[in-house]
Amino acid sequence: MDWRIRRLGQSVFTVWAVMTLTFVLTRFMPGNPIDYFLVEVGPDLDDPAQAYEMAELYMNINPEDPLYIEYYDYMTAFMQGDLGRSMSMNMPVEEVLAIAIPWTLFVMSWAVFLGFTAGIAIGAVMAYWEGGKFDTALTGYATIITSIPFYVLALVLLTIFAYRLNWFPTGGRQPEGVEPGFNFLYLTGIVHHAMLPVFSMFVTSGMAALTMRGNSIRVLGSDYLRVARLRGLSDPTIAIHYVARNAILPMYTGLMIAIGSMFGGAVVLEEIFVYRGMGWYLIEAVRARDYPLMMGAFTVITIAVVIALLIADLTYGKIDPRAGGENREAF
Amino acid sequence: MTISESDASLVDSTGTDTIVELRDTSVSFGMDRGESRVLNEVNIDIERNEILGVIGESGSGKSMFASALLDAVPAPGTTTGDVIYHPEDGDPVDVTGLSKSELKQFRWEEISMVFQGAMSSFNPVRSVRTHFVETLSAHDYDVDAGIERAKDLLEDLYLEPERMLESYPHELSGGMKQRVLIALSLVLEPEMLVMDEPTAALDLLMQQSIISLLNEIQEKHDLTIVFITHDLPLVADLSDRLAVLYAFEFAEIGPADEILERPAHPYTRALLNATPNLSAPLEQMRPIEGESPDPVNIPPGCSYHPRCPLADEQCKSIDPGPYDAGDSRNHDVYCHHWEQSIDDLERAFTESNSDDSPATRNASHSDDAEPLVSLEDVEVQFGSENDGWLDFGESDVVTAVDGISFDIYENDVVVLVGESGCGKTTLGKTAVGLQRPTDGTIEYKDRDIWKGSSGSSTLEDEEIRRALQIVHQDPGSSLNSHQRVRSILSTPLNRWHPDLDGNDRRERILAMLEYVGISPPEDYIERYPHQLSGGEKQRVALIRAMLVNPDLILADEAVSALDVSLRVSIMDLMIELQDAFDTSFLSVSHDLSNARYLAEKTGGRIGVMYLGELVEIGSAEQIIQNPQHPYTQALRWATPELEQDDDPDENPIRTIDVPDQKNMPSGCRYHTRCPDARETCRTQKPELVDLSNEDGVQRTACFRVDDDHEYWDSEPITDDAVDGDEDDDHVNVSG
Ligand code: SF4
Ligand code: SF4
Repeated sequence: MDWRIRRLGQSVFTVWAVMTLTFVLTRFMPGNPIDYFLVEVGPDLDDPAQAYEMAELYMNINPEDPLYIEYYDYMTAFMQGDLGRSMSMNMPVEEVLAIAIPWTLFVMSWAVFLGFTAGIAIGAVMAYWEGGKFDTALTGYATIITSIPFYVLALVLLTIFAYRLNWFPTGGRQPEGVEPGFNFLYLTGIVHHAMLPVFSMFVTSGMAALTMRGNSIRVLGSDYLRVARLRGLSDPTIAIHYVARNAILPMYTGLMIAIGSMFGGAVVLEEIFVYRGMGWYLIEAVRARDYPLMMGAFTVITIAVVIALLIADLTYGKIDPRAGGENREAF
Repeated sequence: MTISESDASLVDSTGTDTIVELRDTSVSFGMDRGESRVLNEVNIDIERNEILGVIGESGSGKSMFASALLDAVPAPGTTTGDVIYHPEDGDPVDVTGLSKSELKQFRWEEISMVFQGAMSSFNPVRSVRTHFVETLSAHDYDVDAGIERAKDLLEDLYLEPERMLESYPHELSGGMKQRVLIALSLVLEPEMLVMDEPTAALDLLMQQSIISLLNEIQEKHDLTIVFITHDLPLVADLSDRLAVLYAFEFAEIGPADEILERPAHPYTRALLNATPNLSAPLEQMRPIEGESPDPVNIPPGCSYHPRCPLADEQCKSIDPGPYDAGDSRNHDVYCHHWEQSIDDLERAFTESNSDDSPATRNASHSDDAEPLVSLEDVEVQFGSENDGWLDFGESDVVTAVDGISFDIYENDVVVLVGESGCGKTTLGKTAVGLQRPTDGTIEYKDRDIWKGSSGSSTLEDEEIRRALQIVHQDPGSSLNSHQRVRSILSTPLNRWHPDLDGNDRRERILAMLEYVGISPPEDYIERYPHQLSGGEKQRVALIRAMLVNPDLILADEAVSALDVSLRVSIMDLMIELQDAFDTSFLSVSHDLSNARYLAEKTGGRIGVMYLGELVEIGSAEQIIQNPQHPYTQALRWATPELEQDDDPDENPIRTIDVPDQKNMPSGCRYHTRCPDARETCRTQKPELVDLSNEDGVQRTACFRVDDDHEYWDSEPITDDAVDGDEDDDHVNVSG
């Protein structure tokens, strides 16, 4: 069988396994969401039996059915794109997610993108002057900063720049009192709101710089580089095709994983900055015991990671001939 | 310096046929401990169209010599003195004085280089074609014409040009990469090619095949080749002249045949005697005492004097200049007493070493002796079959060892030889219980060693674990670098002889160190591994294995990482220890000369492996002098000799490259390369046949040993037939 199809199958399987696991686990949790729902909704209704219909509406599940039927109902609804109805927001989960996801994507993709580009550039410079002042200082800095969780830094930044200096808003995702749309004020407002969250992620991504530094030093000491110099290749060729390519390649998978775990990583960040994206809604959902929204958010996070890994897997062979895989001969 | 031409800086003093001349060329590195001279004022004229073999042990400065020729010494090293290149027409070029862009042009167009790290000389993410193209365009050569030339070169090196050009480096075997690299170094049609240990990482057969190709290439392209190696026999036959480096200086330079037959420098002579080979009587092989000097601390006067049996006061103070030795005008020797050396050294050696080396003995056993370790139909597979959807791995089962049976007796020595990937190390590890076989049994004194250890990868039985020990290939990495010699050696003692108290233990360790020639032991016992030389490390590793009184020791390439001059002494030590401690050795080696030394001296056996099978096993004499299996014959052919062979034999293999192990050839696995293969060999599998006679034991797995076999009536397999056969596409290259 084609290995690509198998990888795809494995990805689908992973998503399914995670969903099933979440479904089953939440059902056996103490204070399981259905009971909670019934207790919560029941008393307000005239007819307690209506609670079951409500459950059906919100969660695509009839609580009176045995577990496997509930599971079947839930999964079928999911396949049709119906993730249930959020209780706290009082609208379909898909709609909540559709509003939230772009904001998260916006902040996190900038954080990842800036983190990696700066990391690669800085790492390359550090490697070039290996052992010099710049290298020593930045290696120390990067090592410390990498071990600080980004949310600690986020809190510090928030205190200083938002509360003390008032340079940035203390929370929110868009300017107030401005008409949303493609107008200058609104767009700059968005960027203004996103700056602190992006910056706090970016500053702590020293890992990329350290990895790049290590990779570059390895490449700079390699035999093929020495031979390339003896062969008289031009400096740009050596820098781009020999050093850069071989140093950046191993980071590709890391980049894909970072992209995939964007939603997961956004949870804490958005909570701190009260940035209403996926992560913020997820926490809200947990707080409000909004079971359908929780399930929906978890599923999206899982799918994002799986898809990113799948893409990494399928494309790595294109950019690194060594991984070109299975059809090539090993000898 | 006492050199007369030392003032002949830019003048070509020796006539028109010199291509490169070095005058007082030095390479030095500034180090904390002082300046380190890794090439010390050497003088040499390299002649046009010659093959110059440069011999040096590790730490003799040979790689620096190579780099100096292209002014390519890695920073922060500096080259001083003159390196002068004489183009065929045009003015001499002062290489060290070239500007950066001139140097860029000079390298690869005039002198190119193939160096040690050939395996990693390619950019892993660029195709082979790109390597050629970028080299051509960097030098403003016509790319199309250059690629055509590259194809011719690849073809000459028995490679398929199209396939090679389209490949990525990781898709090629080591031998192919090496040949592609040679083609790449010749694509700009340089005048001279410098090769620094170009074949060191390759198997015997590949090594020898490349050496023979070099000869053809040199003639065809009118090349000058400088071939730098630690392996004297390797270049003995190939070279026109030999230059011997010792302690960063030349000891002797002269015509190859003269140096081999009448070496004038005591070091050359000692080196020749210390080099294991197939033909010289064992008694003639002796180690060189002592070790090479440190580059920051070169002895004054003749740098060889601490090790030289002829050294006198003059040697200790006055640097010997070149003396003309021998009949030919271009035989230079850097020794004050070279005449005496030619006459006397033989005597000096015999006196000092007469009873040092253990006498040859006979470890062979009577047939009814009980085997110590007995292997029965052992099979080892690696990798796993892909079993379905959730398995991320691909199906990649490699059978490293395929149904091998043999016995090891008490006081026995068995040396396994074969190309890399033939399974010899796996078999060795399996025999001492470090690798669990996937099928078959291993018995130690009639007990199944894996009994009772279900599923685990370590042996259950403590006693058996003690009885079976290993000495690794690279002593440096097998000794814990954070422990002193004392603790390295007391660990096994504590474990296996808990009854000894601290003092007894110490005494025992000291005695052992003394015994293996490490003295003063009180000093060494407190050292860390990095404070030991390679030979000392290997000795400590040997002691560590011996201290627990094992019955069988696996010596995995125990001497191949060592310098040539140390190999004989370590092997002598192994033999001595084996005798003193009543152990058996199972040794693994890719070098037939080493195998012969060890096995012949102990009366042991040599087992030849090919693609996971034992194809021939027998006494050292039989395997070396009377090999029956065509593969053993090929290995024997590939083992370089210390003499100039006027009439080189035909290369006895049909294809240079080993078949893909995931796609084993049918029938006799050697049929894809065997020169004697016939149709029968393609379908039937030969069994080991006992050929033992009064000359020694020998078992061979080839149809040719049976006069009545149907093999003799079947059709020979010719190369055309192989190429046309569709299930033979795993044969990489026909050669
Ligand atoms: S000069 Fe003296 S010490 Fe050096 S090799 Fe000759 S005899 Fe030996
Ligand atoms: S059996 Fe045939 S192919 Fe195998 S070694 Fe003998 S002659 Fe060669």
